[in-house]
Amino acid sequence: MEEENLNDSTEAELALRANRAKIRYVNTYRLESRKKFRDCLVRDKAQAILMNKLQQAKYDGISSPSLCASVSEEILKAVKELDFDRYKYVVSVLIVEKAGQAMNVASRWVWDAQRDSWVSAKFESETFIALALIMACYYD
Amino acid sequence: QPSFVVDEVSSIIKEAIESAMGGNAYQHSKVNQWTTSVVEQTLSQLTKLGKPFKYIVTCVIMQKNGAGLHTASSCFWDNSSDGACTVRWENKTMYCIVSAFGLAI
Repeated sequence: MEEENLNDSTEAELALRANRAKIRYVNTYRLESRKKFRDCLVRDKAQAILMNKLQQAKYDGISSPSLCASVSEEILKAVKELDFDRYKYVVSVLIVEKAGQAMNVASRWVWDAQRDSWVSAKFESETFIALALIMACYYD
Repeated sequence: QPSFVVDEVSSIIKEAIESAMGGNAYQHSKVNQWTTSVVEQTLSQLTKLGKPFKYIVTCVIMQKNGAGLHTASSCFWDNSSDGACTVRWENKTMYCIVSAFGLAI
């Protein structure tokens, strides 16, 4: 019984190691992306998505969280469809109810200034303000 | 293969918020300074960790007024090496939400 258990555990360990083994890629010697990130395209797309989805919406404590999440997923999907080469994306969407309060949003990053960039899009309606931040980081 | 350690990052963020805004009440004139200092302190501590990561830190400070605030983020990255951490903090007069994203190089 003990021998069997030992065999099982070593087999499991080998399988785990194989899964974790780093995949090695052949060098491409390419330091830049083939299709670079274009701010203007992404900004227009993001603005259009915000307009489409949020024009009819009114701020509502119950439906807004899911609306926020779905907008962020749609923007991510659209940016992926634009198919820029070798980029990782982070999309952040904020929806704030308008109630006469003040709000401040600040962002800083540590990244490659020549290859990474960001885009922001804003949408305002009577009851709320929506802000979308899209950050693209080069990854090879 | 380095990975993003959420607990470490969240404690760094909490420290930065406490030191920048600890016992203060919301003051319109100081908010800019607070957001800048929270974000800069978080970033400098994160880079001191010395890991091969690119970091993005976003801070939202909002006055308490009964208004609602929702944030959502979706990311396209490598799940095994990249991660995100969000910290919510509040006091009697304001809310502060800090999100830190780490992407492996």
